[in-house]
Amino acid sequence: MTARTTRLDAGVRGALRAVGAAAKKGLGDPGLAELVQIRASQLNHCAFCLDMHLAIAREDGVVREAQLDLLNAWEEAGDDVFDARERAALELTEAVTVLTDGFVPDEVYERAARHFDAARLAHLVALITVINSWNRLMVARRIPPGSTEW
Amino acid sequence: MSTTETNTTYAAEPPVRLEWARHAPEVYKAMVRLDSAARKGLDATLYELVKIRASQLNRCAFCLDMHTKDALAAGESVERIVQLGAWEESRHFYTEKELAAIELTEAVTVLTDGFVPDEVYERAAKRFEEPELAQLIAAIAVINAWNRFGVTCRMTPGHYTPGQRA
Repeated sequence: MTARTTRLDAGVRGALRAVGAAAKKGLGDPGLAELVQIRASQLNHCAFCLDMHLAIAREDGVVREAQLDLLNAWEEAGDDVFDARERAALELTEAVTVLTDGFVPDEVYERAARHFDAARLAHLVALITVINSWNRLMVARRIPPGSTEW
Repeated sequence: MSTTETNTTYAAEPPVRLEWARHAPEVYKAMVRLDSAARKGLDATLYELVKIRASQLNRCAFCLDMHTKDALAAGESVERIVQLGAWEESRHFYTEKELAAIELTEAVTVLTDGFVPDEVYERAAKRFEEPELAQLIAAIAVINAWNRFGVTCRMTPGHYTPGQRA
């Protein structure tokens, strides 16, 4: 594969990290944060982000292995694998990620709003948004998984 | 209001879903910092075209309201804004550099359809030097972020005044 630019302005990197840190903190659920970030990275086909967030999820032990295995088919996985709150978050992640197919449906938004209060929901939306930004920065520049130069 | 408009009844304005900036002020502050970091070194005219095109693709009404107004206020032509939705058929309205940026914007925005094609990336790399190219990619990622906040939280278009966010 042809190499692409590895440049990224330090101010951009720092500010996006700050957005992510604030979003994660406000969500207050490290396991769900990783599930959401891995799911968005699957949809956006970001190898770098998948590699990074799967490693974090495993090393920190914040996500069960069964959830990582079945995340790509979470709708068909049983309620014992993903509970209603996680499902609502994953459904919102998909709608916000695949935006060009058309908006975020009311029923998807409302299901999420039933499980997350306004503050947590705002931070969940922010986290989905941030990982979508990282996915774009890494895929566009074709940063290989595990790379330390980005 | 002209006479033809007097009897027109428009649909009701939908309410905002979530005032995310109020509920996540730290996130908002960092987003503003991110935005100013990403626009550094980019041509302002080009930047607005990128923002408008991404907002069209993501159908962010709030962002379209903001960026079309900002572009017009900065002297952009109505024609170039209108034609942006069909730029492939109206290439002669834009410079080759703008076209390369618009094409890259589309590829990076519609990411779930699959990666950013080599030919699209290379056309952009031919027109943009490395630091500017990195800023362009950052700028595309950032407008995609604002679009996600705008659409998900259903921020209401129509109330923006040019220069308001500056």
